[in-house]
Amino acid sequence: MNMIDALTTAFQLPFMMRALVVLLVLSLAAGFIGVFINLRGLEFLTDGLTHAVFPGLAAGFIVGGKDGALLGAIIAATAATLLLTWLSNRRVGNDATTAIVFTALFSVGVLIVSTSSQQTSGLEQLLFGHLLTVTEAEALTTIGVSALALAVVLLTFRRQLFRSFDEEGSAAAGYRVLLTDVALNVSIALVVVAASAAVGNLLVLAVLIVPGALARLVAVRMGYLFVTAIAVGMLASWLGLATSFTLSVDAGFNVPGGATVALFFVATYVLALLYRTVVKQVRT
Amino acid sequence: MARRKTLAIKPDARLTITGGEFSYGDAPALTDVNISIAPGEAVALIGPNGSGKSTLLKGVLGLISLTAGEMYLHASAEACAAADSSAEHPEGHIHEGAEGVGYLPQTEHIDPEFPISLRQVVMMGRYRRLGWWRFPGSADRSAVNNALDAVDLRPFAKKRFGSLSGGQQQRGLLARALTANPGLLLLDEPINGLDQPNRDSLLETIRGLKARGVALIITTHDLDLARAVCDSVLLVNGRQIAFGPREDVLTLANLQEVFHDVQVEVDEHTLVLPGHDH
Repeated sequence: MNMIDALTTAFQLPFMMRALVVLLVLSLAAGFIGVFINLRGLEFLTDGLTHAVFPGLAAGFIVGGKDGALLGAIIAATAATLLLTWLSNRRVGNDATTAIVFTALFSVGVLIVSTSSQQTSGLEQLLFGHLLTVTEAEALTTIGVSALALAVVLLTFRRQLFRSFDEEGSAAAGYRVLLTDVALNVSIALVVVAASAAVGNLLVLAVLIVPGALARLVAVRMGYLFVTAIAVGMLASWLGLATSFTLSVDAGFNVPGGATVALFFVATYVLALLYRTVVKQVRT
Repeated sequence: MARRKTLAIKPDARLTITGGEFSYGDAPALTDVNISIAPGEAVALIGPNGSGKSTLLKGVLGLISLTAGEMYLHASAEACAAADSSAEHPEGHIHEGAEGVGYLPQTEHIDPEFPISLRQVVMMGRYRRLGWWRFPGSADRSAVNNALDAVDLRPFAKKRFGSLSGGQQQRGLLARALTANPGLLLLDEPINGLDQPNRDSLLETIRGLKARGVALIITTHDLDLARAVCDSVLLVNGRQIAFGPREDVLTLANLQEVFHDVQVEVDEHTLVLPGHDH
């Protein structure tokens, strides 16, 4: 099967189709939210959130397997979001404090997984997901949690936009900044949770951060930003999945789906960066 | 030292504060506030950095709390209509939120690369009315167009906000505040860094607003601005030093109390005010 075939026929296989649907849903939610991450410059905080969710994932996984991992992640995400919003709102500490707190939480997560008998496969699954063996139940959960994340941002869209542009002005207009921030942080944490089965706790960063950053490079109008971010995520997901399938089936390399998709996300960003550099050169 | 006078509460006052104290947490940032501002009145809010100017603006907006005294606000369209149409206007209500209060922040903290058009920025002024769901309708669009006309920026509506000059950005944010039809407008250092044409245009807009009955509080370091458009002056330095008609308040004694060892231009003379505690 060549690459062109893989782009279509490979998805007749149920596990490939499931992986694709999960990624498309994630791309929709993460792309939309990712625009706000970029506009607000919250990449570092997002990184911190993924780390903070990890001990919850790990503890849940040990106690209750895959379903437990999800519940644990939701609990950890809620706690982490509140802690983080409180930290940044009180202006306690700085990036260093945030980094230390979240690295500590991440380490705790690793320790928890290490106590388990199935530690190697467990740790790897939690960190990098298991895109090609996502179960139907996991796929449904991903869709549900993503939809929730998207709903939170859509409901608070105007206040998010106002606050991203002008915090003082949004507060003066009567929007409570704390509430706005909690809503965005919750939706980021929800995407981290939603993505844990498919791409895992580390690679979710690519899905959350790259599309928004890329859109910012190529789009100058507000509306295009969201469309670009979502479309690019979906495209990278599709190409990445097809490529990993071709490499595994035809070439015999056993490449993990999640990492391949993440690399395609990064590749789209590099292309956009090149495009912009060229455009700037031509114009000047 | 405090010259305490009984405050004359003006008829139909847009804003009245009596014995007002505003605090961040436990620390009072501004005390002894006794002001009453009539429709169409512009107040210059003058004081050194850290003297409580922003505190007062934030207090009126309801962003920091009034820890003593009382504040009455009659700035929303409904309240203004009631006040204007009947001689016996309502007694006033205790301030909750800041309905009818427009705010013009300083532009320097705004990211010039932010991908948003001037029109989209001005539409933000309508967000509270639109609520969670509603899409902007024709009333919202015409409010935006009128506000853009009022600040003379209609032709620039589709431009990216960050690509406009500092003065145009300032006027754009003013247009945003105007879309909500405020009865009281708070301007934070509006002429900082403006060139002469933008400055003239802003003064013209302020005069137009006053003629429509909008009350204004304008923080400024510039006594010329106070002279050009303001009827009253509020001098603060951690507490209210003086409030009243411009010519009564801008006296050497008052200015000395507020500014130590700084140059102030009064009537074409440059004075170096001697300090008290240096």
